[in-house]
Amino acid sequence: MQINYKLQDKFDLSIFLPVLFLAIIGLIAIYSATVSHPTASGNFQKQVFSALVALIAFFVVYSLPQQVFKMFSVPAYAVSILLLILVLLAGKTVYGSRSWLNFGPFGFQPSEFAKVALILCLANWLTYKNRDINNIKDIGIALLIGFIPISLIMMEPDTGTAIVFMIITMSLIYWGGISLFGLFVVLSPGVVVIASLFGTVVFLISLVLVIVALFLFKRDLFNSVTVFVINLGASFFFDYAFRILKPHQQKRIESFLDPSMDPLGSGYNALQAKLAIGSGGFTGKGFLQGNQTQLRFIPEQWTDFIYCVIGEEFGFIGSILVLILFLILFIRLLNISGMAKDRFSVLVIVGILSLMFSHFAINIGMNVGVTPVVGLPLPFLSYGGSSLVVNMIMIGIVLNIYRNRKLHT
Amino acid sequence: MNDTNFGSIIRRRIIFLAIILFVSVIAFRLFNMQILEQPAYSTKADENSVKPIYQTAPRGVFFDRNYQVLVGNKPSFTLRITPAEYDNKLTPFLEAILGVPEGYINRILKQNDQISKYIPRRVAKDVNFKVIAWYEENSSKLPGVDYVIETQRDYSFGIMGSHMFGYSKEISSGLLQKRRNEYSMGDEIGFSGIEKTYEDILRGQKGIQYVLVDSHQKTIGKYKNGEEDKTAIKGYDLVLSIDKDAQLVAEEAFKDKRGALVAIEPSTGEILAFVSAPEYNLQDFASVTSNEIWNKLNSNEDKPMFNRATMSIYSPGSTFKMLSALAALEEGIIDTNYRVSCGGGFQFGDRFFKCLHVHGSVNVTTAIEKSCNTFFYQLVLKIGLDKWAEYSYRFGFGKKSNIDIPEDSPGILPTRKYYDKAFGVDRWPKGILVSLGIGQGELSVTPIQLAQYAALFANFGKSAKPHFLKGYIETSTGKFVEVNPKTFDINISSKSFDVVRYAMFKVVNGAGTAGNIRLPDINIAGKTGTSQNPHGDDHAVFIGFAPYENPKIAIAVIVENVGFGSVHAAPIARDVIKAYLQKNNAQQIKKSEYLGSLKGEEREDFAN
Repeated sequence: MQINYKLQDKFDLSIFLPVLFLAIIGLIAIYSATVSHPTASGNFQKQVFSALVALIAFFVVYSLPQQVFKMFSVPAYAVSILLLILVLLAGKTVYGSRSWLNFGPFGFQPSEFAKVALILCLANWLTYKNRDINNIKDIGIALLIGFIPISLIMMEPDTGTAIVFMIITMSLIYWGGISLFGLFVVLSPGVVVIASLFGTVVFLISLVLVIVALFLFKRDLFNSVTVFVINLGASFFFDYAFRILKPHQQKRIESFLDPSMDPLGSGYNALQAKLAIGSGGFTGKGFLQGNQTQLRFIPEQWTDFIYCVIGEEFGFIGSILVLILFLILFIRLLNISGMAKDRFSVLVIVGILSLMFSHFAINIGMNVGVTPVVGLPLPFLSYGGSSLVVNMIMIGIVLNIYRNRKLHT
Repeated sequence: MNDTNFGSIIRRRIIFLAIILFVSVIAFRLFNMQILEQPAYSTKADENSVKPIYQTAPRGVFFDRNYQVLVGNKPSFTLRITPAEYDNKLTPFLEAILGVPEGYINRILKQNDQISKYIPRRVAKDVNFKVIAWYEENSSKLPGVDYVIETQRDYSFGIMGSHMFGYSKEISSGLLQKRRNEYSMGDEIGFSGIEKTYEDILRGQKGIQYVLVDSHQKTIGKYKNGEEDKTAIKGYDLVLSIDKDAQLVAEEAFKDKRGALVAIEPSTGEILAFVSAPEYNLQDFASVTSNEIWNKLNSNEDKPMFNRATMSIYSPGSTFKMLSALAALEEGIIDTNYRVSCGGGFQFGDRFFKCLHVHGSVNVTTAIEKSCNTFFYQLVLKIGLDKWAEYSYRFGFGKKSNIDIPEDSPGILPTRKYYDKAFGVDRWPKGILVSLGIGQGELSVTPIQLAQYAALFANFGKSAKPHFLKGYIETSTGKFVEVNPKTFDINISSKSFDVVRYAMFKVVNGAGTAGNIRLPDINIAGKTGTSQNPHGDDHAVFIGFAPYENPKIAIAVIVENVGFGSVHAAPIARDVIKAYLQKNNAQQIKKSEYLGSLKGEEREDFAN
């Protein structure tokens, strides 16, 4: 037992094993969804290859000296911004989003690597010496660090990934120790924006509430006016953005409200996914036996709708197993964040947690029909090399931080 | 490291709770979907992926009374387009290949654009094999185009029979609304004639193949290995009472003529031959009927689509004299000794009714034999309108014949009520009744009524309603099921019949008006007639039966606008009678023998 003890000392199995199981379940589901498909039948082999690459990347990252992450955070961020600009200029359009960069036979999505870079850079900035997270200027810069990649990704456009970047940014600012006023500064524009969608009266009421709140916070005039102007500006900007929203995006919002309204249009996937999961029953229809999956009712099921393959073929038991594995992973990430030896490491883990959780929540929510259809992969399960490699790199970072946790210093 | 500054316990708890809460919501949702609502989702999912493919069933074929094929089936190619996969750029190309006018395909696709674009539309039926061969070579370049083999009617058995057989066509949207449960779009339904009357047993049962389809409606395989599939079941074959040989002779005789012929087996009411001329070519209706053909048929002055045998009304002329004779004999108004002197006509009031000849003293037999008008002008006055109408009605006039095709007219039988309505009570013009005595005036009858009238004389007032169906062959068992309509008796003494029948015998075999059709070996009895009509030359009429001693066939013939019945109608009747009787009517071929005589592929077709 001594060996095991030592292993657990350096390497957290309660992170690694759930991740490994999820990846294996993902491979099984991808096999089922693609084996009889005319054009995607090679995807299983590709994903196995990606998994091996991801495992190697994981061990490399795990073995790196811990200082490397902080050191490379700013250059990594700069490179990822450059890549995001490059992809807008020279990228390959897949499913309406210009999100792929190709190097010969290999392609990857810069937005996947930008996730890591954003987390590292934001964590670095928020933990820099004498940083006051409750200072409007510091909050503004933190928001800006998030806003640059978000707006570049919005231009691809890849709404799902942009939402994840927003969640990461917000989570890090929240965890960075923001005060109630700071939280108000960050969140009130969002509230005002949403209020503006409900018409002028509601919008004006929300502005009045902002003013009342600002009085109650008893900040100086400059700060109060700045916050109010930010609110006003945000709402006008979003009003403009909403009006230039693409029709298919507006349709997605509508079809989420009533998927049966338009069964062959944008609500089609949501409806078919629910049919697949619902018809799976308690034990599922069995491996390769799901007719929704095998008859390809859900296009590209091996990517964003991989969860309904599991739901259909392995039923309630399989679906719950995946939920439990994710739950173990998330809780353990939260635990480890408390063990990290410095603020930077804590924020990195929180960033990774928020990233994985938002992917998980949006993807599974869409599969079972509780959130709108937003194209986001399910970490470790969905087909896609970039996503799997980046997710394993992040697990590598987490276990690296665990290896160097404060009990050892 | 100050834990309270960043990563505080409260913040961690909030995140922890958020994670637990969300996962619980998802778990609850999964429980709902996969356990509580699983049956509903399963049903929907199955419907989603299983698609029924319908196969049309071949209609039952028509046999004559000796199991000779009258109407058959043959395979035909139907070209279809599935709009969801179809490329409109192919349209000019396809239209050229099919030889249809520009815009034809677009029109068909537009007509049906309210139904799912994944359902294939029949674009061309009865497609030439060359087109199919061309399609097979180029199918990869023709997305959304395919063909199916269906059966269509085959009328290549030598007879027309257009008005009795009738035709079927694609069900109209109005009818489809009413019979939604039985039919679906594009189904054939009997539209006229026997095809319509016996639609329910002729149509068979559609076959259903359940296949698994993907989200593009592309077939991937069988559902449950075809366990729930149903093969198409052919409709029942009908055995008609028609005698093909007699029918052939009748049709041949009516080439280039207008008119009608109905021959009936007197004891059963079975129709042996049935012609309404001109006929139309049913083959034109076997698949898609072109507008050109429709226009030609509808603009033809001879009205080939009109069923003269059951719908056209004529004055029966002198053929109606037997009715007065029989009524007077039966009512005791006259006997065979009653004589009238014919001086070439009859003065009634201020009007003189002519006879064709000066017949001198005639009794009822000679009056019929020589067709003396004078005798009957006076006789009908003795009988009176009410009795005359009553007897006419008993013989089937003034009411529908109830023949087993939908086209059926009652004709006009004038009664007291009829004239009161037309002229007012007690204000009838004089002489109305006198004209009726020789079958002229307001009286109007159909050929089928005349044939039944002849049959009742042949069989002493006992017969059954005229009909085509002898029986049908149940597809599943191969059993012949006979259909026999009830026989009826109009209750007139055979003593009265004897007198009139003998007179009819003399018409052909004595010094009568139809001596020209006398046969050495068969005794025909009959009566000629000339039907006056306001629109042109007289129609020639003949009714009769044979053999006189033991009648097997009764017949009515009307040839339009040609003059005397003896010259133009009677010889046709003779030829049909000859054709039917000379062929030793007793020979009845059993169905098994019929099957044995079929060639391989015909037999297969039959077995379907």
